Amino acid sequence: MNRLDDEILMRRVDGELPPDEAAAVDAAAAADPGTAARLDALRRLRGLAREAFPATADPRDAALAARILAGAPARTTDWTGWLRSALAPRLAPVWAASAAAAFVLGLAFGQLGGRDEGFALAPDGGIADVGLVRVLDRRLAAQGPDAAGRAVGLSFRDAEGRWCRTFAAGDDGVAGLACREADGWRLEALAPFAASTGEVRTASADTPAPVLAAVDALIAGETLDAAAEARARDAGWR
Amino acid sequence: MDGFQRELVELLPRLRRFARAVCRSDADAQDLVQETVERALARRAGFRPGTRLDSWAFTIMRRIHIDHARAGARWSRVVTPADERTAEVADVGQADEDLRADALALRRAIRDLPDDQRLAVALVLVDGLSYAEAAAVMGVPPGTLTSRLVRGRQSLIRTLAAQGVSA
Repeated sequence: MNRLDDEILMRRVDGELPPDEAAAVDAAAAADPGTAARLDALRRLRGLAREAFPATADPRDAALAARILAGAPARTTDWTGWLRSALAPRLAPVWAASAAAAFVLGLAFGQLGGRDEGFALAPDGGIADVGLVRVLDRRLAAQGPDAAGRAVGLSFRDAEGRWCRTFAAGDDGVAGLACREADGWRLEALAPFAASTGEVRTASADTPAPVLAAVDALIAGETLDAAAEARARDAGWR
Repeated sequence: MDGFQRELVELLPRLRRFARAVCRSDADAQDLVQETVERALARRAGFRPGTRLDSWAFTIMRRIHIDHARAGARWSRVVTPADERTAEVADVGQADEDLRADALALRRAIRDLPDDQRLAVALVLVDGLSYAEAAAVMGVPPGTLTSRLVRGRQSLIRTLAAQGVSA
């Protein structure tokens, strides 16, 4: 029989042959160990090539994503769905650096501009949504979600002495971590959030892993208990 | 943000992988990804919605890479080869996470291929594009793509065999 040339074996391995020709190559390989070995070497090379250059997330992608989002001023209000897909596990490492994520998302939300309601951010990553600001300022963890599904979870101080609180904006499908600065609450991390449907829930148990990771990265000391949380609130988070 | 922006963000890991396969250093790959993103944003009017953004962006990247390679060829006439070699080796060592020895050997072998073959290998073997898509990205007829791919692969298998790596 003919010695099959490298090209047809290569096409077989790359899935570029019609089914009948592919079957003929397989039959030839079954009948001839030499052909089988060549086919096998090509297969291993293909597998090894993917291993040699994995498509992994890179920390520098966050800055590029920010550039892309800033680069084209088109608008859409369907951002929660986008956020969910962008933060899917596959790409999660890209967004895990909380500061970079806040920067990216701040740019994105800044473009929403004139939206009256729902979650909103100033372009610098400050939280501009009046309802959420009120919840961060006043609400206690024990009070659970308000009518719009907004709740606070953990409260603590970071190493710079800022008060930080995790929150969920249930109706908007996001949860995050915000820290108090002189001019308002600044977003440190944000992740898609699905409110649990169970009757008993604790905000911290629902907090998405990227937000908890941001807490771990920032926290200095312990989270506040209910009494300390109420005192900090009454003091205006100063 | 819109569909174009979303897709381009989602494409970043693949763009970076392609860049790392065609560039000889991680720093060059980062520059290539960055320039590709800039050019894609600047030329977004040239992208037809409904067509493949990945092919379009890869094509932009391929063109920028070729421009760089030409500029590099001019430089290499004045830079001494010894200097260049030192810089490359240092960088490769730095970018070699925890890959198995055979994957590392293949990475080096791919980077040593001639440009045409390296691009074909990067598009088909590393990224997994079809021959038709890869030929379109490279701007060559399918037959040309196929022969570059055959020669590239033969060379890789020979190189690995010579190093005692079984592939």
